[in-house]
Amino acid sequence: MSSQEVLSRELALRIGLAARALPDTDAKRLFKVLTNCVGLPITEEKIGSINLQKLKAAEDGEFSGVDEGLLKKALHILKHDVEAGVTLKPEVYAYRNGDMPGSVRIACASNDAINVDGHFGSCSQFMIYQVSADEARLIDIRGTEAPAGLEVEDKNTFRAELIQDCQVIYMASVGGPAAAKIVKLGIHPMKLSGTEAIAGIIGQLQAVIAGTPPPWLAKIMGIEAPNRFRFEREATG
Amino acid sequence: MALYIVEADCISCGDCLPVCPTNSITEGAIVFKIDKKTCTECEGDFDIPQCVKVCPIDNCILPLEA
Repeated sequence: MSSQEVLSRELALRIGLAARALPDTDAKRLFKVLTNCVGLPITEEKIGSINLQKLKAAEDGEFSGVDEGLLKKALHILKHDVEAGVTLKPEVYAYRNGDMPGSVRIACASNDAINVDGHFGSCSQFMIYQVSADEARLIDIRGTEAPAGLEVEDKNTFRAELIQDCQVIYMASVGGPAAAKIVKLGIHPMKLSGTEAIAGIIGQLQAVIAGTPPPWLAKIMGIEAPNRFRFEREATG
Repeated sequence: MALYIVEADCISCGDCLPVCPTNSITEGAIVFKIDKKTCTECEGDFDIPQCVKVCPIDNCILPLEA
């Protein structure tokens, strides 16, 4: 690689971060697609000329199957300066009990803060959202490292206790004994069939809350039993 | 004698459906339900009710009071 082809540190960082926003993509894969898209050397100016269509078509449509929202996000990251920390850490909003009536608190096992892509026992963080039919608020990001000096007897119990205030946890995978520990703390485990965007999960949950939530969900949302029975009569009648 | 599914606790996972020896479990409008006319609590087939054994939720499938 000649000196003209060297990628600037800033661009390399952006490519790395953008790749993390895409499913099953590492920096190498994204780099290959970008190279096919604009040719070497990759410069800021050239990246500025890439649009969604170009990105999807590059490298024989390598990214044609990827969700457009995620691609747009990746493009945004590619075209904008990395502000230390900001790109990776979405903004957390304050939440007080009672702020959002008819809401549930969910935890998402995540490594990249964008997707539910983590295994319960190994993900780097839990993204905590409060979700109601018309609002979703990121209220906390909880790292899963045990504080220094604290002897953790059982890793999975420690992790489950981290999210004890949540009613539901979404994760890409979880083992049987770990799931039992989650259930024991009154948290409803939801194992997805693979990696899914947190935004998509929240959208689905909001649709369920806005419709007729199943009884177990209605119960944890604190909807009174008489209301639930009304739903039942409507559904059976 | 028969078992019933506590509606507020059932998560509709469907795990109980295939293990019932008398095919008494069906998916209802809200959650799964047990036909009390055909449920035998697995007597004659197994030592313990199979649906209770596979159900992931505690106290979700209980005996129906006579």
